[in-house]
Amino acid sequence: MEPNAELIPLKVHGVLVDPNTDTQIVILRDENNDDVLPIWVGTAEGTAIRMALEGIVPPRPMSHDLITSFANHLGMKITRVVVTDVKNNTYYATVYLSSNGIERTVDSRPSDAIALALRAKSPIYVTPEVLKRRGGENLDAWLAKLDPKQFGQPEA
Amino acid sequence: MLGYLTPIKTYAETRCGLGMITQMNVRGLLFDPYNNAYIVILRDERNVDMLPIWVGKSEASAISFALEHISPPRPMTHDLMKAILDNADAKVLSAEITDLKDNTYFAKIHLWHGDSEYTVDSRPSDAIALALRADAPIFTKEEVLRKQNSEELERWLENLKPEDFGKFET
Repeated sequence: MEPNAELIPLKVHGVLVDPNTDTQIVILRDENNDDVLPIWVGTAEGTAIRMALEGIVPPRPMSHDLITSFANHLGMKITRVVVTDVKNNTYYATVYLSSNGIERTVDSRPSDAIALALRAKSPIYVTPEVLKRRGGENLDAWLAKLDPKQFGQPEA
Repeated sequence: MLGYLTPIKTYAETRCGLGMITQMNVRGLLFDPYNNAYIVILRDERNVDMLPIWVGKSEASAISFALEHISPPRPMTHDLMKAILDNADAKVLSAEITDLKDNTYFAKIHLWHGDSEYTVDSRPSDAIALALRADAPIFTKEEVLRKQNSEELERWLENLKPEDFGKFET
């Protein structure tokens, strides 16, 4: 399978807290041209992503640590995750798993997919179509309205 | 208050070799307005013993979806967890609440894969959310039931006003 030819690799640039709502924003970035894909996620998912980014190992396994632990026990590798679609500002993703040379896919929310990819050190991709239709302008407008003082560390 | 434990041999007893573990059912979720958290109520089948486990909002939501058989349009974290296990042909045998230390519960998930059993450490909330999706039993040990001071919960419940009860938002 050569599925990655068309896909664009993204890096997780950071997680912002939206002080106006109970949500967080994961900033994915195309490192080749600085295109940005912002994805709004829930507090729990944002925290799961931030902990992986910062290399924080919680005393007890969080949900995505548990999934990673399952994969390790069962000899499965999370080979990559792909943000595949966006409909009505809702993003969809696919997690690619490989075990004994067999590749399988599982539907996922992007937040779960990213939280898993960071723990498995697997690449994150987006389709060109999704990146084209991203809500980047919405993010610019949202950022412009923000008071810099509102930025800060989200609570753990 | 510790309940009388039936001497009848169950699946659970056969598994661990001692009559010291009890199957628990999820009896509901309460909102705790004082701690802004949720309480999962586990009860044994004879309705004698109870384990109240405090969990966060997203964990409570994951348990509530499974209790109410709600299939969200996109898979939630534990639906993904179950899908990944299904993909690997791994079966959830059981969830087990293994210990209570400093008001924190510990759990394990028992999996069957290939021809072996695997045991993975988990938070109780993840173990319960997964067990409900996999129709797997939830067990605990007698010593955990003994450690849990149910009087504390009863006192807490008595202080609750009826309007504190209710469904939480999903």
